[in-house]
Amino acid sequence: MLNNIRTQKKLNNNQPTTIFDHFDPREDEILRIIDNEGEVLNKELMPDLTDETIIKAYKSMLYARTADNMAVSYQRQGRMYTYPPILGQEAIQIAAGLIIREEDWLAPAFRELAIMLAKGVTMKEFFLYYMGNEQGSNFKTANHVLPICVPIGSQLLHATGIGYSIKYQKKDEVVFTYVGDGGTSEGDFSEALNFAGVWKVPVIFTIQNNQYAISVPVKSQTNSVNLAVKAIAFGVPGIKVDGNDFFAMYVAYKEAFTNARAGNGPTLIEALTYRKGAHTTSDDPSKYRTKDEEQEWDKTDPLVRLKRYMDKTGIWKDNEEQLIEEYKLEIDKQFTEAENFAAYKLEDIFQYMYVDMPDILKKQKADYELFQNWKENRK
Amino acid sequence: MRYIFNFPDIGEGLEEGTILEWYVVKGQVIKAGQPLVNMETDKIVTDIPSPKAGTIVAIYGSVGETIHVGSPLVEIEIEGVFGADAVAEVKETGKADSVEEEAAGVVGTMELAEKNAYLAASDEGSTKSKTEDKPVVKVQATPLARAMAKDLNIDINKVIGSGPSGRVTKEDLENYKPAKQPQGVIHKTETSTQQLSADAVTYEPLSQIRKTISKNMLHSKQSTAHMTLFEEVEISHLITVRDRYKNRFAEKDIKLTYLSFIVKATVLALKKLRKLNSQIDLENDRMIYNNRYNIAIAVDTPEGLVVPVIKDADRLSIQQIAQKITELSDKARDRKLSLDDMKDGTFTLTNYGSIGGIYATPVINYPQCAILGIGRILKKPVVKDNQVVVGSVLPLSLSVDHRIVDGGEASRFINQIMEYLSDPVSMIMD
Amino acid sequence: MSVMTIVQAINNALDIKLEEDKSVVVYGEDTGVEGGVFRVTEGLQKKYGAERVFDSPLAESAIVGAGLGMALSGLRPVVELQFDGFTYPAFNQIISNVSRMHNRSRGVYKIPMVIRFPYGGGINALEHHSESPEALYAHIPGLKVVIPSSPHDAKGLLIAAMESDDPVVFMEPKRIYRAIKQEVSDEKFSIPLGKAKVLSEGTDVTIVAFGAMIRECQKAMVMAKEAGISVELIDLRTIYPIDKETIAESIKKTGRIVIVAEAPESFSVGAELMAIANEEAFLYLEAPPKRVMGFDTIVPLAQGEPMYMITPDRIFYEIERTVKF
Repeated sequence: MLNNIRTQKKLNNNQPTTIFDHFDPREDEILRIIDNEGEVLNKELMPDLTDETIIKAYKSMLYARTADNMAVSYQRQGRMYTYPPILGQEAIQIAAGLIIREEDWLAPAFRELAIMLAKGVTMKEFFLYYMGNEQGSNFKTANHVLPICVPIGSQLLHATGIGYSIKYQKKDEVVFTYVGDGGTSEGDFSEALNFAGVWKVPVIFTIQNNQYAISVPVKSQTNSVNLAVKAIAFGVPGIKVDGNDFFAMYVAYKEAFTNARAGNGPTLIEALTYRKGAHTTSDDPSKYRTKDEEQEWDKTDPLVRLKRYMDKTGIWKDNEEQLIEEYKLEIDKQFTEAENFAAYKLEDIFQYMYVDMPDILKKQKADYELFQNWKENRK
Repeated sequence: MRYIFNFPDIGEGLEEGTILEWYVVKGQVIKAGQPLVNMETDKIVTDIPSPKAGTIVAIYGSVGETIHVGSPLVEIEIEGVFGADAVAEVKETGKADSVEEEAAGVVGTMELAEKNAYLAASDEGSTKSKTEDKPVVKVQATPLARAMAKDLNIDINKVIGSGPSGRVTKEDLENYKPAKQPQGVIHKTETSTQQLSADAVTYEPLSQIRKTISKNMLHSKQSTAHMTLFEEVEISHLITVRDRYKNRFAEKDIKLTYLSFIVKATVLALKKLRKLNSQIDLENDRMIYNNRYNIAIAVDTPEGLVVPVIKDADRLSIQQIAQKITELSDKARDRKLSLDDMKDGTFTLTNYGSIGGIYATPVINYPQCAILGIGRILKKPVVKDNQVVVGSVLPLSLSVDHRIVDGGEASRFINQIMEYLSDPVSMIMD
Repeated sequence: MSVMTIVQAINNALDIKLEEDKSVVVYGEDTGVEGGVFRVTEGLQKKYGAERVFDSPLAESAIVGAGLGMALSGLRPVVELQFDGFTYPAFNQIISNVSRMHNRSRGVYKIPMVIRFPYGGGINALEHHSESPEALYAHIPGLKVVIPSSPHDAKGLLIAAMESDDPVVFMEPKRIYRAIKQEVSDEKFSIPLGKAKVLSEGTDVTIVAFGAMIRECQKAMVMAKEAGISVELIDLRTIYPIDKETIAESIKKTGRIVIVAEAPESFSVGAELMAIANEEAFLYLEAPPKRVMGFDTIVPLAQGEPMYMITPDRIFYEIERTVKF
């Protein structure tokens, strides 16, 4: 822990300090609690979690990774369309998953499978979406989760607005929103942070800095020392965290969450991680990065690290292989359900455009039905 | 049941792949998702996982072999699925066999052109002549007229339009009588549809002018009661007058023609016999007398007959009339006549004498009442003071619409003109 | 002559101009190192260097706005926006500045800029990857909007767009990026902007289309031929300025017009062509002009997309109805 002037001032005045005071993004300081071998680096920072919770977190990460791998496999089998894997980014999302409550909001981008699962989205819904049916975004068991947002960065503004609404309605809710390193270059990113800072909204912005925006490495994305530092410009606390360190992520989220609920406004968390998979199943990373680089980053793998910690502390008792098999069966079952979902109807194209379908749309639908009849009768 | 798993499109833009390594063997029990084989494609090397759990019954392709997307990879005995369900299963996974192949694109399934399916090279810039004008004649008509034609069961393309630019109007449709022959003058045009051998005829498309004249002439003849009077007038005096003033006019660059005098004479006569400067409006049971005296002059041009109008000729002197005639003739020949030049004529003169004709039965310029045809001045023996002398005779042919004007009126009119022409001074006396 | 796909033709056009004119620069997201997500700019950075062909940070508004700055100060930028649905962040720069700078400065500043992006549906993609926004751009005064339908046209039109001193929005039909191969000249050639092309002559009905729809229309024409209907097919090529003359001449010949396009039908290019048909050839129309276009809805995801996309049988259905009017 390095003290800086601001933190020192706070300490001198007996003011409470937060994790954000102790890790200055301007100095490129990074919050890390365990190393790649699972050794605890900072005992004081270690969060107070029960063994059960840690095991549960690991299992959630394992489930998410299994589901993610299977999704890629289904795509490769030609049974699902283009899919953006989260491989390597599980710790970030599961850490948030431990904290996010049913009433809290999630405004995702499109690489947030794990936290969406934590929020109650089912794999069936996930698969249904990627099989090309928007019903997959009609989350039956997940509350306050927005559908996947494809236009980069735009979800951040939505999160800010939700935050305003929460304050206005005097509710006790927090918004979790995500963006990638590439997304921080979009105007919406700056605008969202700026608004969030002015309005002091209960929003936790997470940048999943997985080093790449498709093929563009983060050093080509910005000249800033890191991404967390950008928060300072907007008067919002920012912190750079080892995204593959489950405990560090948990601590950062916990503090940001507490801050938000206390009315202290937004925070920006830069989670440093690596996109182990491709941008999507249609992308070929070998075009722009080396196997060496991938292998270097593999050493920081979030599941491996947490597993090593659990092995070292002797809390892990289960059979991982067996668990994976169980998960696979469950996930395949969900996939089959998605595959057998009711056929897409013509009506589905129209009925959600407006709350009440205007006459123009009714007519267009009717005209198409005439065409369908004609087609049928020709056979 | 037996399930054949074909080499699927795996999103990397390929038509085929080379087998690098088999991970399974015949008889092996496998799980869903278990890697079957390692394939090399244009872009990447990847494992292909099995979509089903079961027992491998057959393996297609050996290491090093190249197989096409859609070709069988393995055959699996699937546990526990029989009959209809089994068929359904196969159908479901048929997505893999779709023609769509992915190519690099980050998102979506991209279609790849088949190996030898080429589009012909563009013919851009090549001087390929456009096909000749279609033999199908398409008329202009408003949607309203077209709807009417449909109701009346008329092929609108066969109707001659009388509206602007030959547009087929409601009236045209109302008046359309395909079977009737007006006055037996016009034969049924069946002959025109005879098949003629190719070298017996030459085809030439109709010009706009010809189409218009053709229409107008027919319309005039079918709508009026043409009657023609033929007269001769001796104009030695007029010739003298003209000769006297010819040069003076020439100095001012004006050609003093006989036509100028005839216009003047006509206008004066029209003022006395107004019926000749009118229209009949049978629909409303009335005569429409023109208060203006706009004399149209027929001009022969290479493209055909055009009829520019000298407006308010009654207010012009003979010099001004002469000027106007020259101006309009030049414009006509240069095809520079404006629509305004051509409208509102109330009486027409046609001077075929300059070409050499003597008598004719000119066609009235509908909806005017009459048209005066002017022939060539002939040197003929005439009787003057009981002596036979050489006279200069101007032949006149006056066609009138007998619906408006009777023989007597027509005679009086042409006599008046003849009086003026034989004694030019009388034109300034009246 | 070489056999090229549209991707290769565009690559070739860029290559030719980069070689010939040092003021040309090409950039966008993933455009440099990777050569574009569709590989359209593949190999160009290697050949011309990272100063001329490069990756930009992820910000469409900046890509276009900075491009405008480059264009008015001596460069001829060809900027790439990754997908149709992602051009919207740049819409402000396009409508507020790119289209207006020449007029605003009374001709002092020319904007020789090309904004290119893949557009159109039919590839089972996620949201925002299947849009057809040509009407939005054509409606902006000051812009030219160009859409090729074949490799040859893609090359010729892009070169013309790059040589134009006006800003051009160049929309590439991604569905047929690799689906068509054609023999294309290796030499430099350009196709004039603002002229439509009559692809096939016919007498009974005129079909006007562009981009990926041309191919679907050609398939429908086979069906029409069997039914004894002679179709005249026109490829618009340039959406703005639209070639009224060619369209009008054709309607005067056939008396009927059917417009085929992907975008939602209301307030579209189809609507514009119907207006043109009325204005220029009212008296020759034997049937009401017909637009065969998308519903006024978002392009559905893959399972619904087949009902939304215009298919050859749907085109034939409307041709038949129009001819039988």
